[in-house]
Amino acid sequence: MPDMKSSTLSISKLTAKTIKGKEILHDVSLLFDSSKVYAVMGPNGSGKSTLAYVFMGSPEYKAEGKIQLDGKNIHDLSTDARARLGIFLSYQSPVAIPGVTVVNLLRTAYQAVHGAMSIRLFMTMLRKHAKELRIDKMLLERSIHDGFSGGEKKKIELLQALVLKPKFAIFDEIDTGLDVDALKVVAYGINKLKKAGTGVIMITHYKRLLSYIPVDVVYVLAQGRVVKTGDRKLVLRIEQKGYVGL
Amino acid sequence: MDTLSLPSPSYAFGFHSADVHAYKSKKGLSQAIVEDIAFQKQEPSWMRMFRLRSFDVFMKKSMPGWGPSLSKLTFNDFYYYLKPIESQAATWEKLPKDIKETYDKIGIPEMEKKFLSGVSAQYESEVVYKSVQKTLTKKGVIFLDMDSAVHKYPELVRKYFGTVIPPGDNKFAALNSSVWSGGSFIYVPKGVKVELPLQAYFRINAAHMGQFERTLIIADEGSFVHYAEGCTAPIYSTDSLHSAVVEVIVKKGARVRYTTVQNWSTNVYNLVTKRAWVEEEGTMEWVDGNLGSKLTMKYPSMYLVGRKARGQVLSIAYAGAGQIQDAGAKAVHVASETTSEIISKSICRSGGRTSYRGLVKMLHGAKDAKSRVVCDALIIDDLSRSDTYPTMDIQENSGSMEHEATVSKISDEQLLYLTSRGIRGGEAQSMIANGFIEPIVKELPLEYAVELNRLIGLQMQGSVG
Repeated sequence: MPDMKSSTLSISKLTAKTIKGKEILHDVSLLFDSSKVYAVMGPNGSGKSTLAYVFMGSPEYKAEGKIQLDGKNIHDLSTDARARLGIFLSYQSPVAIPGVTVVNLLRTAYQAVHGAMSIRLFMTMLRKHAKELRIDKMLLERSIHDGFSGGEKKKIELLQALVLKPKFAIFDEIDTGLDVDALKVVAYGINKLKKAGTGVIMITHYKRLLSYIPVDVVYVLAQGRVVKTGDRKLVLRIEQKGYVGL
Repeated sequence: MDTLSLPSPSYAFGFHSADVHAYKSKKGLSQAIVEDIAFQKQEPSWMRMFRLRSFDVFMKKSMPGWGPSLSKLTFNDFYYYLKPIESQAATWEKLPKDIKETYDKIGIPEMEKKFLSGVSAQYESEVVYKSVQKTLTKKGVIFLDMDSAVHKYPELVRKYFGTVIPPGDNKFAALNSSVWSGGSFIYVPKGVKVELPLQAYFRINAAHMGQFERTLIIADEGSFVHYAEGCTAPIYSTDSLHSAVVEVIVKKGARVRYTTVQNWSTNVYNLVTKRAWVEEEGTMEWVDGNLGSKLTMKYPSMYLVGRKARGQVLSIAYAGAGQIQDAGAKAVHVASETTSEIISKSICRSGGRTSYRGLVKMLHGAKDAKSRVVCDALIIDDLSRSDTYPTMDIQENSGSMEHEATVSKISDEQLLYLTSRGIRGGEAQSMIANGFIEPIVKELPLEYAVELNRLIGLQMQGSVG
């Protein structure tokens, strides 16, 4: 049985600049609880992806303010330390790493996060998750994201979340470029992840994916600020009237 | 522990008799020393004359007028004929600490450690070696150390020795020709395919006799052999000049693969001449990994002299602090429809320098010859440097030549990706570096590949050297 005790991830009074000095997020405060499913929405350039990168501790951004996981300030922790504490980011356009296979990466990551596991048990677990996401076994032996199709990339990102079982998984536009079948598979995987106790945060433009995943809380960002908070009905309003109509 | 269990004179691995073990030449190089080497080895007069002629050539030849500086190399500072006993570190305790630590980190078994470090002349693979020898003998394959081959197969050795790389080729080939010792001799008869790689590893003296090794491989028509030498574990050497010569003859339709991994300690000058003569429809493959040494200059080459002969060089070089890896390849297309492929990957870090230096030559009459050269360099930090010196000499219009070169750094995006999965920075770097050389590492025999990956990992995480 998964541990159902919920975790919290929060930011308060967070300001984020690019390393070149351009301010993207202004005084943002948000709270996430791992027992709920969140959607972070907003028009292009509203700072959604930056928010994800700031959670992950990307050196591309300079952030000021508090970032807390279960009440502990993680602001000064490195990216890898944050990942080991249970923060996961699924990238919008993940980078290819030639010569590093999906299996190799995931096994190394799994051991870094959870400690040693026999190769046999690990492979059994990995293959089971891959099968459910309809990922071809051969893909696991290839260099990660190297020549993968758009759909394969998204599924491989999701697969990593399922294997690593983080406290919070942030999905940065996992729904873009997916056909209906792939979208359903991705939704299935995300729902499964949630059931296993991971807090799900979806960054998205559209309601497409959200019609397969029951969302509890919606945050709307515009120009680097939180402009609206609501429940799933807010998704529908955005779909009908756009962000301007809010 | 100063006592070594020395093999008896009749020992099957080609060790010499006990009195030879006690022998040590004077420091420096002279005609008298060359004469002495031939005398000590009780060589036939043709070999003695070959050594003496080579010595004359060596004295007349000037140092290479290109490439990294060799100005600190003083020939009279070295011993030219050391028996294994003197070149060994003698005790485990006397070995440099970093080398001992590396052995532990890459997980080399205790017995093997002592063998590699030169502490022990005995090695447990004796049993394996004997069974390999038995299989080879049945097929008519000869696999011996070069010294024994001169005595046991004088006609065969004399016919080919020094024909691919004559002493006059370059100063270091001349040096090797006059003072060579050790190395391997392989003859594979017509149509015989040797399935398992033959490893110098299994010849117990391999690690110690490396100073002026002389290797000759003859693959008769339609045969196949894979020879693998060296090892990924650092080899501590008290001799700081190593200059080997490797000659390979690939007859019609034969295929030879020659794998070398060298990880000499960083006091060593490693100046090697390797060349293959490839006849009609023959294939030569050089797989070369250079990790150690202070300076390596090595350009495995192939002379494609028969129609449709093929040659390939796959190489990896790693240069850390204080190291220069000047490696490359040479392909000479003499006959028509010959093809060559050169793929070189290098990594430099902490002030190390890597260079690709290559020559592709298509002689007039080498119709429809094809060549492809790809060299990729990965530079880890701003202290390090990588250069490319490709030379093309195309005298035939019908040929085709491709050349690609890339220089890259470990990207911040890739590092972020791996660290965001919980992998620490150092390990993430080593994964990216190992991924970069993976296309060549996968061509290595498994045990080399595994150790090489671990070693690059250790280097990248700064825990070695």
